[in-house]
Amino acid sequence: MAPGRRALDDEIRGHIAISIQERIERGEDPEAARLAAMKEFGNLLLTRESIESVWRPRWVETLFDFASDIRVAMRSLQHARGLAATVALMLALGIGANAAVFSVVRQVLFRPLVNRDAERLVYVRQKAPGLGSNNITFSMAEIRDLRAASTKLASFGDFSTLDFTLVGFGDPRVVKAGVVSGSYFEVMGLRPVLGRLIDANDDGAKAEPVAVLTHRFWTTALKRDASVVGRKIRLGSRIATVIGVLEPSLPWPADTELIANVVASPHHLGATMVMQRTHRMTELFGRLAPGATVAEARAELEAAHAVMMAQHPESYPASARTSLVVRPFRDQLTAPARNVLLMLLGAAGVVFAIACSNVANLVLARTVRRESELAVRAALGAGRGALRRMLLAESLVLCGTGAVLGVLLAQPLVGVVSRFAARFSVRALDVTVDPSLLWVGTGLALVAAVALAFVPRLPSSHATAAPRPAVAGLRITPGTGRRLQAFAVAQIALSFVLLCGAGVLLSALVAMQYAHTGYDMRRVLALDVPLPIEAYGKKAVDFFEETTRRIEALPGVEGVAISNFVPWRDAGIMGPGFRFTADGYDKVPGEEDPHGRLRIVSPGFFAVLGVPMLAGRDFDANDRADHEPVVIVSESVARQLFPNGNAIDHRMWWTDPYFGKPAPRRIVGIVADVDDENVVPGPALTVYHPLRQTPYGGRLFVHASGDPYALVAPVTKLIRGMNADQPVERPATLADVRGTVLAPERLNAFVLSGFAAVALLIAVVGVAGVLAFSVSARTREFGVRLALGSSRALVVRQVLVEGVLIATVGVAVGALGGFGLSRIGESYGHAPLALDWPLLGAAVLLIAAAVAASLVPAARASRVDVVQALRTE
Amino acid sequence: MAESPDDRRLELLQGTLDMLILRTLQWGPQHGHGIGQAIRTQSEDLLRVETGSLYPALHRLEKKGWLKAEWGVSEANQRAKYYRLTAAGKAQLLREQDRWSLLVEAIGRVMKVAPTGEE
Repeated sequence: MAPGRRALDDEIRGHIAISIQERIERGEDPEAARLAAMKEFGNLLLTRESIESVWRPRWVETLFDFASDIRVAMRSLQHARGLAATVALMLALGIGANAAVFSVVRQVLFRPLVNRDAERLVYVRQKAPGLGSNNITFSMAEIRDLRAASTKLASFGDFSTLDFTLVGFGDPRVVKAGVVSGSYFEVMGLRPVLGRLIDANDDGAKAEPVAVLTHRFWTTALKRDASVVGRKIRLGSRIATVIGVLEPSLPWPADTELIANVVASPHHLGATMVMQRTHRMTELFGRLAPGATVAEARAELEAAHAVMMAQHPESYPASARTSLVVRPFRDQLTAPARNVLLMLLGAAGVVFAIACSNVANLVLARTVRRESELAVRAALGAGRGALRRMLLAESLVLCGTGAVLGVLLAQPLVGVVSRFAARFSVRALDVTVDPSLLWVGTGLALVAAVALAFVPRLPSSHATAAPRPAVAGLRITPGTGRRLQAFAVAQIALSFVLLCGAGVLLSALVAMQYAHTGYDMRRVLALDVPLPIEAYGKKAVDFFEETTRRIEALPGVEGVAISNFVPWRDAGIMGPGFRFTADGYDKVPGEEDPHGRLRIVSPGFFAVLGVPMLAGRDFDANDRADHEPVVIVSESVARQLFPNGNAIDHRMWWTDPYFGKPAPRRIVGIVADVDDENVVPGPALTVYHPLRQTPYGGRLFVHASGDPYALVAPVTKLIRGMNADQPVERPATLADVRGTVLAPERLNAFVLSGFAAVALLIAVVGVAGVLAFSVSARTREFGVRLALGSSRALVVRQVLVEGVLIATVGVAVGALGGFGLSRIGESYGHAPLALDWPLLGAAVLLIAAAVAASLVPAARASRVDVVQALRTE
Repeated sequence: MAESPDDRRLELLQGTLDMLILRTLQWGPQHGHGIGQAIRTQSEDLLRVETGSLYPALHRLEKKGWLKAEWGVSEANQRAKYYRLTAAGKAQLLREQDRWSLLVEAIGRVMKVAPTGEE
């Protein structure tokens, strides 16, 4: 076996001692004998090292060689610190972006769910493209029908969301609560961390009201207080007992703070909820029966759904094109994020490709400069393998540094990207920095390193056989020059694609940001003053009117109004609208009645929000329950139903079954269109009811003469003074409400612009690098030209033209590629890409950047010292 | 002018050191220094093995199982590592000797052929 180091030293010492003894026996002087023996032995350490290497296994030996390769590479890179830093930084950007995005993608799309046997869970919903809605929940009547017909689903769980005023945990406030039947938690496969969950014993009107707290609410608001189990809380009008805390799970289908049983919600026991087929507010889940597949369950439920639709044609108008969707639970969770994440992954991939091609460029330029060094090494006997190994070691050092920096960079990026992805899927909420960062970073670095080591051409054996005359400086072969330019073109092309994407998103954002909304955005403060759903009635209206009167008396208040809807923030809560018609309106045969939005407003609402009255009058104190039913309509309603402009004093009525028997209402006024559902305003068919005739409100608007936010404290104090338990929430000006709604769009544009900016930066460095290299390679040429009388301006122009040419070709290639991509996008239903300002802007930006990048090398070309340049020849 | 021994010294042919070591050890176990000296004296000072080559070669042969090493004491009472030929080593020596004689004969034949043009 391999001898230890001490044994080797002993052996060597023995050798020398014997050698000395022999010399002394031959009559040499002891001191001289010792020196001679030492000299004869030669280098002790080297001998010992070569003995040790005999005993080392081959792979260890390879590793030792590799370590020394790396040492040499580090030394060699020390002479090119600027290049090494640039390369490492670019790779860091590329690797960091990819690692972060990949980590989020992996966790969002592929991490297992906490639900037991999550792959057996399905999500059921309806869609009605005719109503413009792809996600319609169920009514209890529909759920009863489906449940009765199903055998492939072992059990169903239902979940509906309701706002309750919660008293018992700190200040009274309105919380979002889930209402579930006893099968829900069993179907979803969730467990409690404390106490128990709602089960079949909690079903029925005789059960006690109980509530389960979500883990997030328990940990954040209640600081993990274990004594909450058994506590009594007030939920709206009922007293409920807290029976347990749910394990950490996704805040889905709704982010609620607690989940109650059906009996806790009087609304759920009411006739509307139980009987009304179109009262759809319940999410439906199912667990597959043993042996059943999703496809079987889908087929069965679709058949049952078709039967149900045939039995109740009044609830499923043909034009709505209602149908049933059954899909795996996990798909439903992640589908919205999938496209966005794949887009991000694509963008990150492009950045990596750009970074690599740029690094390849720099490395290529460097190898051309060291062609003579490589030739000398080859002449001294380094084989092609050894040269490649040297280059590989260098690129490994570069890429390794890049990977380390990239992984460091990726950690904060994971937060940014997951916050972004959380807009699309709740699964991104609990994304953490995980080890996949490390292995993605390492993998990418290895790919880059191997690719880079094979970029430079090695001196051919032919070249070494006939060494060319030793010329100071470097020669650049046309092939290398072309390759450099090709890389630069590729970078520009890829950057162009990214810049276009960012440009399109940015222009859409700008259009949204500056769209005219029709409201007085900055001076109107909106507040939620919600009442429990069962409290609405005459008393509620009295309360709101009294509140209005008192707030109007506050200093700095110019007007106060009540409504049931804060623009944009409440988008969707009223569903896709209701069908209505009017006398004198002849609909085209076979067509549906128009869908209108119903809004309930107090007198003065339009003045307070700055919406102009176009004709007729505003509501007033006489539009009461015991007077003639009246409405105000938006301009679009007036124009569409009364093309002759005589809407005032005609009557309209709702034809949707939700309203029961048609009750005609006289049109008393016309107001300008305002689109309170969409941030990009479109025409809006809106019908306004007076608050006194449809007692439902909960949204307070205050028009301020000064700073609207200064009114928040006095208004809250005033309302609490009237009713200490009344929640007053979410104060914001209309401008800020809209800003919040736009935040995801802004984040979208921001993230892609970030990628595009990185790509642009790298591409500019790339173009500058190529030109700088080409200038330094042509120093002699420029010297000769200048000596022959060429003007410096001409030389500068030539360099600039080369830069612009690279950029133009790059943009053209990018445009071709982008066009191809957009064709693919079209086939997936995206809008075709128009040749408008984002694209032109991206092209101009890139070419301008290329010119800027060419300026420094051009200036250097013009400063070529003629004498110096000629002397080197 | 007489040639000094240093001028006449021969470069060891590549691949022959192993054979020389095995051959030297045929007469019995020996330590590294002794092997070096034996090659030197038996070649009448024409071959001199550098310790930098000798020791790695000894260890290589030991690793291959042709030699076995054990600690012993030299005639001058010095602790030294002695190498001994194993059975496998003996077989290897025979193989190398055959190969060597074949090589010498082959090269000798080539070199002894008189150039026809000069006869």
